Amino acid sequence: MASLLLAACAASVPVAPARFTPWAPGASGQMLHLRRSVEVNLSSGYTRVLPARSQWRAVGSLPQGTVYQCADGVFSIEGRHVHEAYLVVEQSTLQGFYLPGEANFSPLSPSISLPLGAP
Amino acid sequence: MMRRTILKLAGIAAVAAVLGGCAASGAKYQEMASSMPGLKAGQGRIYFLRSSSMFGAAVQPEIRLNGQVVGQSKPGGFFYVDRAAGTYSATTATETENSASFKLDPGETKYLRTSPSMGLLAGRIVVQLESAEKAKAELPSLSYTGGEKVSAK
Repeated sequence: MASLLLAACAASVPVAPARFTPWAPGASGQMLHLRRSVEVNLSSGYTRVLPARSQWRAVGSLPQGTVYQCADGVFSIEGRHVHEAYLVVEQSTLQGFYLPGEANFSPLSPSISLPLGAP
Repeated sequence: MMRRTILKLAGIAAVAAVLGGCAASGAKYQEMASSMPGLKAGQGRIYFLRSSSMFGAAVQPEIRLNGQVVGQSKPGGFFYVDRAAGTYSATTATETENSASFKLDPGETKYLRTSPSMGLLAGRIVVQLESAEKAKAELPSLSYTGGEKVSAK
């Protein structure tokens, strides 16, 4: 019942216009590797899990941090609507998400320290 | 007693017939996979799929891509469109509008799943990004529901 109500009444994810600077093709290559899974509780009420051993490729930057795209699949966040999402990471801390389909930034509060490690 | 049982069975058969009529009935994915055209330069492919399920089967809204109708969400069905690389929003409108925004890169294939969900007043169809792994595993069981092979403009 709770999930039905959540689906029916979910709040939108907070967004703000993003000043995304893409890295030149070939310049990317910096990778993030998660040692273990990370549960992310969104303000919309939904939860997302960043899978253990997932890899994320740096594709650009925002004032809030470096932007990483999921290298082994597609990642999205959800509120009233669904948004493809890239991680925005500053000093090993997940600050929020870049939404490439709409060029917005969605902040995460509180930010989350990521368990980074070698692949 | 016997009459009541017969009426129940007749009712079940009628519902099954109606819902069966709601399901996709086109060619299976394998039958047409080899004849699907390759992507043109600068384009990507977007698949839309919906699992076969009796739940919400009668709810079959149009699917819009950046506002343009590209097909219909049908249980057990799939279709695809080729589009220029760029940013897109796929939407379904039932009692409310649901959307999924995403970026399509050249040569990339994205998969979007539509599925029924319970709304406050009526059923609704939500659209979500699906992993290639799960989509490819399900596509062989689905039927093509596109009216024609739709290529980018």
